[in-house]
Amino acid sequence: MSVAVDDELWSAVGDPTRRRMLDLLLTGGGGTATTLSEHLPVTRQAVAKHLGVLHRVGLVHVMPAGRERRYEVDEAQLARAVAQLASVGAAWDARLQRIKRIAEAIQRGQEG
Amino acid sequence: MEYGSIEREIRVDASPEVVYEVISTPEHLREWWPDEAELKPVPGATGVISFGDRSTPDANVVALTVIEADPPRRFSFRWVYDEGEAATPDNSLLVTFELVPSGAGTLLRFTETGFREKGWEAAVLEEQYREHVTGWDYFLPRLVTYVARLVSP
Repeated sequence: MSVAVDDELWSAVGDPTRRRMLDLLLTGGGGTATTLSEHLPVTRQAVAKHLGVLHRVGLVHVMPAGRERRYEVDEAQLARAVAQLASVGAAWDARLQRIKRIAEAIQRGQEG
Repeated sequence: MEYGSIEREIRVDASPEVVYEVISTPEHLREWWPDEAELKPVPGATGVISFGDRSTPDANVVALTVIEADPPRRFSFRWVYDEGEAATPDNSLLVTFELVPSGAGTLLRFTETGFREKGWEAAVLEEQYREHVTGWDYFLPRLVTYVARLVSP
């Protein structure tokens, strides 16, 4: 997958409304723009637009359901997005722990 | 609004002066992050940190630009920008350490911002440097909650 697409993936999960939508789709086992808009403080049209963004980056897939379209989370793509984000956070967690250890050792040395 | 950021807070049982030294001087940087660091902790200074043996082509040499150096309160720098470019808010990540006195110790607040502007490749690049491999076998929907925490405004 190209870097350009990955940029979009980042932006797609960066938006709080879209993260809430992913949550709803996961807990509800999927949904339509109509069912999602019932749980969100935005219009059905806005939900449809957000679904388009999620679909473009592969975070959801779509299937016809009567007059509407039903969306489900693509779990592999979501796991991939989360793993990359998590690795950045985990790396800093480890560095901060080392900063703490070093600073505390110096402090103890100064006091001792 | 900035969504592409990482924020952490950690309490350190050492004075802000000590913590500031540890986060900003090359001799200490080497102990907690890169293998080598060449950097003067003064605003506007540029330097490099490197990972791996610099006499081999496998080494990763990464440029840094110091933005703020206000001992013992605040230290920030930009990194992950292309070689030969000047660091700007659009082409780099901003790392900020804020030190708040807390009893006999220090509350260290860390943020890294700019992922959204810089884009996804920064996360991939970062991944190469991580020493700490964690199995992120979370299952849905805990995954989403976790992302929300990592990229919360």
